[in-house]
Amino acid sequence: MRTPSALLAVLTLTLVTPQAAQATGRPAIEAARDIWGMIQQLRGDHDSAQAGVRPQALQPASAGEAPVDLSDLSHPARLESRLAPLTRLPPARMRATVAGGQGRVGDYSVGSEQTVQGHLLILRGDADVYGRVQGNVVAVDGDITVHTGAVIQGDVLAIHGKVREQGGVIDGEIRTLSAAPAGAAVTLSPMQLTLRRLAGLAGVAITLGVLGLGLVAFGRHNLEIVSDTVSHSFGRAFVTGLLGQILLLPTFGMIVVGLVLSVAGILLLPFAVAAYVLLAVVGLVGGYLAVAHALGETYTRRRLAQGTMVAAPNSYRFLLTGLIAMLALWLAWAAFGWVPVAGDLIRGAAILVTWLLGTAGFGAALLSRAGVRENFAGRIIPPEALTDEYLWATPQFGVPAVRRPGVTRSPTGGP
Amino acid sequence: MMRRSTLAAAFLLPAALCAQTRRDFSTSRQLHGETRLTARIEYGAGSLRMAPATGGDLYRLVMSYDGDRYTPLSSFDAGNGSVRLGLASTGSGGLHIGSRRQLEQTAFVTLSPAVGLDLSLELGAVEADIELGGLQLTDLRLTTGASRTTLRFSRPNAGRCARATLSGGAADISILGLGNSRCRQVEFDGGVGKVLLDLTGTWPSDARVRVQMAVGALTLRLPRDLGIRLTLDRFLSSFPASGWTRQGNAYLSPGYAHSARHLDLALSSTLGGIDVEWVN
Repeated sequence: MRTPSALLAVLTLTLVTPQAAQATGRPAIEAARDIWGMIQQLRGDHDSAQAGVRPQALQPASAGEAPVDLSDLSHPARLESRLAPLTRLPPARMRATVAGGQGRVGDYSVGSEQTVQGHLLILRGDADVYGRVQGNVVAVDGDITVHTGAVIQGDVLAIHGKVREQGGVIDGEIRTLSAAPAGAAVTLSPMQLTLRRLAGLAGVAITLGVLGLGLVAFGRHNLEIVSDTVSHSFGRAFVTGLLGQILLLPTFGMIVVGLVLSVAGILLLPFAVAAYVLLAVVGLVGGYLAVAHALGETYTRRRLAQGTMVAAPNSYRFLLTGLIAMLALWLAWAAFGWVPVAGDLIRGAAILVTWLLGTAGFGAALLSRAGVRENFAGRIIPPEALTDEYLWATPQFGVPAVRRPGVTRSPTGGP
Repeated sequence: MMRRSTLAAAFLLPAALCAQTRRDFSTSRQLHGETRLTARIEYGAGSLRMAPATGGDLYRLVMSYDGDRYTPLSSFDAGNGSVRLGLASTGSGGLHIGSRRQLEQTAFVTLSPAVGLDLSLELGAVEADIELGGLQLTDLRLTTGASRTTLRFSRPNAGRCARATLSGGAADISILGLGNSRCRQVEFDGGVGKVLLDLTGTWPSDARVRVQMAVGALTLRLPRDLGIRLTLDRFLSSFPASGWTRQGNAYLSPGYAHSARHLDLALSSTLGGIDVEWVN
């Protein structure tokens, strides 16, 4: 991995450095030193990187650019994110204004008779303090050594370096922050972000698809009943699902407490906990898949009603069609989630819709007792509809029987 | 060639994304004649070790943490001599894929034994080993969440400790040598879990200890030479009363009348067992 990164560095610098060297009119040897320093830094060779940097004052930033504030060092990571990009530039292009202090590039030493007024910032170099600094000292990509007789009247911070206390006095706090491991702080481009999200979505879709197909293969009857419950009683299923979600945790607590209080029940506690969690997950995932089935079925039947030929209109097709429809919003988010504002709106909509459908599915699973009870599924036909009496000329209900002539009944019974 | 490089990138990209930002951070302050320090340690997750400082530091914290989720805390207020150390959550959740080892956070805190110390510890899901023996504690507050905590007083406290307030959530807590804390008043509130209270050590003359346990097992490790007056308030809790002498609504430890030092122990337990271990 080192050789490609070095080659990349050389390639980049051959494009970048000549202009910089010409602009400043520096000798070629200094430019070569900077190039070597950059290569070493890209390779992660910290000490060698410093060795290649010629000590010099940090050039002030252009007008309008915010100065670097070193007065509060209690958030080193924040300061690191401000300064780290600066250290990746060639020394000649590093520009920053230090508020109430001064900046240096490369190694820097404060002599024993010297007093530095204000804060001191050292980029890509070591700081050796023998004298006095009336402010904070910060080094990025370098160590700070406080020698005997030195006095620093503020805080000391070494970002990606060490602080060596060799007898000097530091009035303030001494902090060090290591470099993040290479490749850890990855800033993704929109394309990478989209690819990452698409990969995640594909993973979720495949998992749900496999689970759904398994459910159709081995529990089609139950799935269809839950699915029909969603179709016929969506509102009731949603309210039940909502209540179920609210009561999920208290019920769990009651089961645990109940088992703990009954001495014999303590032994069952691990099994009860595992079973409860499993049932809850099965209810949620199964309910979600049942909603997908219901959506797919509704869509397919509408197409059939319009006269469209649909190959194999069965539960497998219903489920996969429904899943694609339910994940469509997430697909939109994966593709356009990087767009400011719109991305957040799509994500919010996807979360809301998923929750609504998941809640309805969970409620349907509860109402139908995981597809055992058919009351809410619209599958129970009224008893009168099951008889053949509708074929009779006389309606079954609503016509009183005619009394037998000559016979009267009294409340006391008997004529 | 193009297809091959694309394929390689597809394999390498997830590997880079899964990496954790493990950072090392240290903070310290030299001792410049301070006489007291108010220290507040906040640590949400990981393992924590604490010990008295051996060098010329007022305090020192060395830690390794997950830079994606946490940010180090390090602020000293020279006005009132207080320091806040530890880790604060950045609030960025999400799933982090990696091995358990990658996610481990560690911290080592040392505090100067040369200053009067008012110490507050707020621990979350932490495995903590805290040695406070030899410090000059003036006040101690410990709050733990779902933690496994060992708090030791291996040497007597060099200061005058007014009060120690210890509180555990769903925790496994061992407090060893509590007498060496030399706190006049100790309060322990246990939630759910296992607690070992070792009351050995050099108690001040009129110390009072109040222990309140909700649900869990409490083990009391008691020195035989200490005269203990125990008042017990229990519900669905067992207590081995053999060897104790009943006096009114209190129990007196064996040899209470002849003991040079006495301790008032108020114990309240709702559900669980109380065990007593006697040590010489």
